Amino acid sequence: MSELLTHSEQELRDAAGLAVELAGRRGVGARASASNNGFAKIEVQAGEVETAERSGSQSLSITVFRGGQRGSASAATFDRAAIERVVEEAILIAGQVQPDTDAGLAPTEWLARAGPQPEMFAEGRRDPETLMAAAFAIDHAADAIAGASNGSLRVGQSAAVGSEEIWALATSDGFCRSSRTSNDGRWCVMLAQDDGGSTSDYWQSQERRPEDLLLAEIIAQRAADRVGSALGARSIKSNRTPVLFDARTAATLAGELAGALTGMAQYRKMSFLADPMGRAVCAPHVNLSEDPFEPLGLASGGFDSEGIAGSARSVVRNGVAEGLFLSAFTARKLGMAPTGNANGYYNLRLTSEADGGGWQAMLRRLGTGLVVTALHGGSTDPASGNWTRAVNGLWVENGAVVHAVTDVTLAGSMPAMLKGIVAIGSDVERQSAIRTGPILIDEMQIGGSA
Amino acid sequence: MNGGDFAIERIRERLLAPANLDDAAIGRALGELAGGGADIADLYFEATSVRSWRLEGGKVTNGSFAMRQGVGARAAHGGSVSFAHSADVREQPLRDTVRAVRTLAHHGDTVRHPQGVELNRRASEHSLYLPAETVAVEDAAAWIALLERIDQTAHAADPRIARVDANVRAFDTSILVANADGEIAADIRPITILSMMVVAEQGGKRARGQAGIGKRAGLAAFDRASVDTMVGAAVRMALHNLDAVPAPVGEMPVVLGPGYPGVLFHEAVGHGLEGDHHRKRLSAFEGKVGQRIAAPGVTVIDDGGLPDLLGSLGVDDEGAAPDRTVLVDDGVLTGLMQDRLNAGLMNQRSTGNGRRQSYADLPMPRMTNTFLANGTHDLADIIASVDRGIYATEFDGGQVDIVTGRFNFTTIEAWLVEKGKLIAPVQGATLIGVGHEALQHISMVGNDLGFDTGMATCGKQGQTVNVSVGQPSLRIDRMTVGGQAS
Repeated sequence: MSELLTHSEQELRDAAGLAVELAGRRGVGARASASNNGFAKIEVQAGEVETAERSGSQSLSITVFRGGQRGSASAATFDRAAIERVVEEAILIAGQVQPDTDAGLAPTEWLARAGPQPEMFAEGRRDPETLMAAAFAIDHAADAIAGASNGSLRVGQSAAVGSEEIWALATSDGFCRSSRTSNDGRWCVMLAQDDGGSTSDYWQSQERRPEDLLLAEIIAQRAADRVGSALGARSIKSNRTPVLFDARTAATLAGELAGALTGMAQYRKMSFLADPMGRAVCAPHVNLSEDPFEPLGLASGGFDSEGIAGSARSVVRNGVAEGLFLSAFTARKLGMAPTGNANGYYNLRLTSEADGGGWQAMLRRLGTGLVVTALHGGSTDPASGNWTRAVNGLWVENGAVVHAVTDVTLAGSMPAMLKGIVAIGSDVERQSAIRTGPILIDEMQIGGSA
Repeated sequence: MNGGDFAIERIRERLLAPANLDDAAIGRALGELAGGGADIADLYFEATSVRSWRLEGGKVTNGSFAMRQGVGARAAHGGSVSFAHSADVREQPLRDTVRAVRTLAHHGDTVRHPQGVELNRRASEHSLYLPAETVAVEDAAAWIALLERIDQTAHAADPRIARVDANVRAFDTSILVANADGEIAADIRPITILSMMVVAEQGGKRARGQAGIGKRAGLAAFDRASVDTMVGAAVRMALHNLDAVPAPVGEMPVVLGPGYPGVLFHEAVGHGLEGDHHRKRLSAFEGKVGQRIAAPGVTVIDDGGLPDLLGSLGVDDEGAAPDRTVLVDDGVLTGLMQDRLNAGLMNQRSTGNGRRQSYADLPMPRMTNTFLANGTHDLADIIASVDRGIYATEFDGGQVDIVTGRFNFTTIEAWLVEKGKLIAPVQGATLIGVGHEALQHISMVGNDLGFDTGMATCGKQGQTVNVSVGQPSLRIDRMTVGGQAS
């Protein structure tokens, strides 16, 4: 058994199965899940351990159904008395609420009783000593870079984290499966200072297998490069210009597109893409695809929290929405078939058939305009699509960076921004579930004070 | 009555006695935790139940109940903190957790208190908020009726209201913290949060409105008048935004209404005065304490001891009584907010701002109730003074970058002001500024201090806690407004 976990997959399947069985004896259908997570984290600053943390958590939750009435309850233990209490509480709740004919277990023919599970777990050393060595390696690498910077750079925090999780799902239809995942992360925060004050930025590497993580020297160097390029930042004047989102900030836009296509947003009328199926939602050269089965993908999964498998598919093709992210519940609400997305979307890839090219080519395509490297605060109004943020970035003229930018706002309308995508670059980065290159948008409103 | 022996007894019954954990066992665990010369060693026990009811499509069709409990064990040697936690609070798992901390700390096997720590210094009682039943299933019918009435009232208010979502989340939390100095403190923290969102539709346009009420009490505190006020606010916001035109862009005067817009001071001043950022030399305010950052008349306070507000604490999560910390005194940047760790390392004292999201998270300096003190102007005069700018009454949260001091917050209910008059509702816009510069431009402070309705939360390093923010209305002469209209 893993050093981080306190339970086995079999114990979790047994706990979830017991909850469903106890519910069945009370005459209600049920779906139960059990999870156990273990994690260790070391944060280092200025050559010293800042925090060393080691923890585990567990949870058992159940949703019971009785003719459209439902109730959910959870507890943080797996002993029988606690499971009995959880079942009892869920049944009490179901007895109070009004029925919703769309609520219920997933259609039994949709259950992924035997399908393939992608690789989501890798053995690896995740003990505190290993993580401490990894965090110190980043700290040392960053310290060397700062030492050679003539005082312009300073090392912030360096950190290493490892976690493992097991999860089991059982339903009254006899579905009972479990899965195991692992996660490894490393990051480095660097600060830069000049007459204008201090600023900070970070680089992070996240994988399911420690061997796949970026080297400490690369993490530190990329953090230093990012923060170094922000030195000398100043505001620019209010203006409408083309805007190039770097790969990190582009992933936020891709996530907002996906969020607007979830069943929950759709049936609650909280999506800026109303009734999107079969309609153009992006520029005609843009595609969004989903793959639940990518080996060691950060958002891979063999089945969702209702027991339904996702599929490798196109969600947006040639700018037109072809699919939504649906659970059994939201699918019923919308009169559609479930897509196995009860826990959200799996690995996504945003691409364009328009020729984008590498970073320098994208800067040339931008011509004169704003590169966005960081988004702060702000909001995307899910009902109207109004999009507003504080941003940091770079001012570019004729394809060349002129100076770093701060103290500006950026505003647009999300539907117009998606249709205004000119190109997507080939320097693709992955941020959790999402892969995209830099996104160039035709025009947005900058607010500044220069 | 809350806190003191009363609260200790309550969590003993709820969590410790069922796990056969007595004071002597806690003392033994603390003795071991403090070994190797720890400067701070403490145990934080928590039991929380959460009940929710959710309304959509006119019916309450969903409810949930969650129970969690556990203990977090911390030992600090200088600025180096070791931490582990367990959901099982029986003596053996507790000792295992303590041992995990000792292993992480690498500070040898010496036991500081071989006989165990004697827990003989008890925190005093308080009455900032009282224990209240918040999660009883017997309240279900009343909560469901209340949620259904919210739906009916909102739809009846205007035919353009196309959808109403509402939910109530009630928390029943008991905490106990004990440390190697023999201090023991407990607190009972009831919280109930009722919130709603509406969508208005007209001619293919959609707009949202939201409102909520958070109380340190149960069902009985949610009277009809205050619920109707909440519904009215959500409907008004949705209809306002349905008619909204693009917000203006660029530098202009900004008038903020009373209450939640006080999030400005939480972001622009508060976070930059948290002790941990100063100890680590990360705050843009480092070296600016004692300097004038605002005009005379601008006084900002963090006070964890205001009755019934959601940021108040009978004791903080390290057992300290809450202070009233003046952050900006008549325009001059003054105090820091501290927890034990950072206060100790900076040779200061804790201000009772040590807070944590749960037993599974480490405490750090956090705000409680943060507000701007009253001035003398009338809101009408403040609006009338603006030639062209915006007037904002509700915000969708805010953020600050500690290192640069740059903050932002985004309107969700605002108007364009011209020649002293409200001209038209405007769409959401992000307002930005730099903490030590923006407040210099405050030129008028109103006389109508109010607090948020109990919905404010604060996120820091992944941990969310309830806070309260407040202010009287005010005018800022120059601020960058990030609208879509050129």
